[in-house]
Amino acid sequence: MVGAPESMIRAGTILSWYARSYRHTWRATITVAFLNPLFFLLSIGVLLGGIVDERSADLGGLSYLEFVAPGLLAATAMQIGTNEGSFPVMAGLKWTRTYHAVVATPVRVAELFTGLFAWVALRIVVAAAIFTAVSAAVGAFRSPWSALAPLAALLCGLAFAAPIAATASALEDGSWLTGIFRFVILPLFLFSGTFFPVSQLPDWLEPVAWATPLWHGVTLCRDLASGSAELWPALGHAGYMAAFAVAGSLLAVWILRRRLLR
Amino acid sequence: MLIEASGLTKRFGEFTAVDAVDFAVVPGETFGFLGPNGAGKSSTMRMIGAVSPRSGGDLRVFGLDPAEEGPAIRQRLGVVPQEDNLDLELTVFENLLVYGRYFGLPTPLIRERAAELLDFVQLAERRNQRVEPLSGGMKRRLTIARGLVNTPDLMLLDEPTTGLDPQARHALWERLYRLKQGGVTLVLTTHYMDEAEQLCDRLVVMDRGRIVAEGSPRDLIARYVEREVVELRFAGGSENGAAALLEGVGERIEELADRVLISTGDGDATVAAVHERGVQPESVLIRRSTLEDVFLSITGRTLID
Repeated sequence: MVGAPESMIRAGTILSWYARSYRHTWRATITVAFLNPLFFLLSIGVLLGGIVDERSADLGGLSYLEFVAPGLLAATAMQIGTNEGSFPVMAGLKWTRTYHAVVATPVRVAELFTGLFAWVALRIVVAAAIFTAVSAAVGAFRSPWSALAPLAALLCGLAFAAPIAATASALEDGSWLTGIFRFVILPLFLFSGTFFPVSQLPDWLEPVAWATPLWHGVTLCRDLASGSAELWPALGHAGYMAAFAVAGSLLAVWILRRRLLR
Repeated sequence: MLIEASGLTKRFGEFTAVDAVDFAVVPGETFGFLGPNGAGKSSTMRMIGAVSPRSGGDLRVFGLDPAEEGPAIRQRLGVVPQEDNLDLELTVFENLLVYGRYFGLPTPLIRERAAELLDFVQLAERRNQRVEPLSGGMKRRLTIARGLVNTPDLMLLDEPTTGLDPQARHALWERLYRLKQGGVTLVLTTHYMDEAEQLCDRLVVMDRGRIVAEGSPRDLIARYVEREVVELRFAGGSENGAAALLEGVGERIEELADRVLISTGDGDATVAAVHERGVQPESVLIRRSTLEDVFLSITGRTLID
């Protein structure tokens, strides 16, 4: 979408705008990005995991902590992606209308979106790297391949950020977002293989879980963290998530153009 | 010519917002679009600002076609939109910094300009405060400073003082007047005739997507209306009968919901004639004709309803 050097520079000014805003708003984001995942890791992974392990559940040879930590990593990426892909778009179009100010300057819509997307990517990858480091420190991630887990989580987060940005671009009213979080994102979080193998789901529901980018993110992160990743399945998971990110981005830019340049 | 439009048209589906208008703006002048809400002023401004594709006709801004060279045009424009769209989370200075970067300006240069501009709009003391709690007038002034950060060749102001209290409006007019003195070309829309009279060298009157008159405020008044207006108000809606009694008094009579306006070259003589007819208005006012009367005489309607 954005190729020429001057376009990259203009996209960069949008990224720097978001970074500047973050200096004022970072406090509100640390719960979702850092504290919640660590609380989950401790309560579900370590404490509940102790009980699960006593019952010797079949988790492919992993302890429950080793099983759940990569799932939490992917799920955290999803949450940051959905939050940061939706609210800034809603604010830019409707709440503070800053996107209307941006497109009155030389910055183009595709450059605006690219800048936002780069910012969301940065947010996800920083949170994912911290979570990975903590997981490695508590022994939840054992393989050296864990170093690639933040990138898998990044893809997972962007697979949600782009489609939700497209959705937010099309919405007139932010209250729809709350509904999407409650009825789409939360069930995905609970049922896409983060906390238990999806083979536990009823047979008819299992393919639904496979279709979600989160399941691919969880599975890829888990395979990397445990060192059992194989090239082709890993590329398949990555490609599936990348397809969501690319298609969502194209759609978002198309809708934003219609909204901003009427 | 900074702007040249011919047959410029904007349609939204079936609705024609701007209907084949022609106008031109030369460097250094302050050019206005005067008209009621929904006249097509903002749609015209958005097309000039290269953020709204035209549906028909031709448009050149700085000699460039907005459909082809939007970024190059926007690089040289300063835009003050109808609704404020500042970043409320950021400080006053940060709003200028972030915005200046969109134009590719280096940070040290933006800092330098921000200092001058914040002095100019009298917000220097607020430099490091968040924007959100500022008053409407301050936000408007900051939006103007933001629009000037790239030292534009042309400033577009869409309803610059709508929603401000009278004091803030006058403060803003004074700033705009100084810009004009400094040689900046201003194009503005307004539905306030006093704003158009105070600021515009030349203006077009718009109604329902069309340009219905064009000229300097003084020309328009001379061309379309008499020098003075006698305004009569009546107690309890008895004006309908009064208008019939007044036939032939003054040059032309307009009946509005709450008053009767008589356009005349000689207010005192007209008031005397009103009394001779035995009409007893509750109040009588003689005033100079304004652009509001021009609009009324052309369209039969008022600017603000």
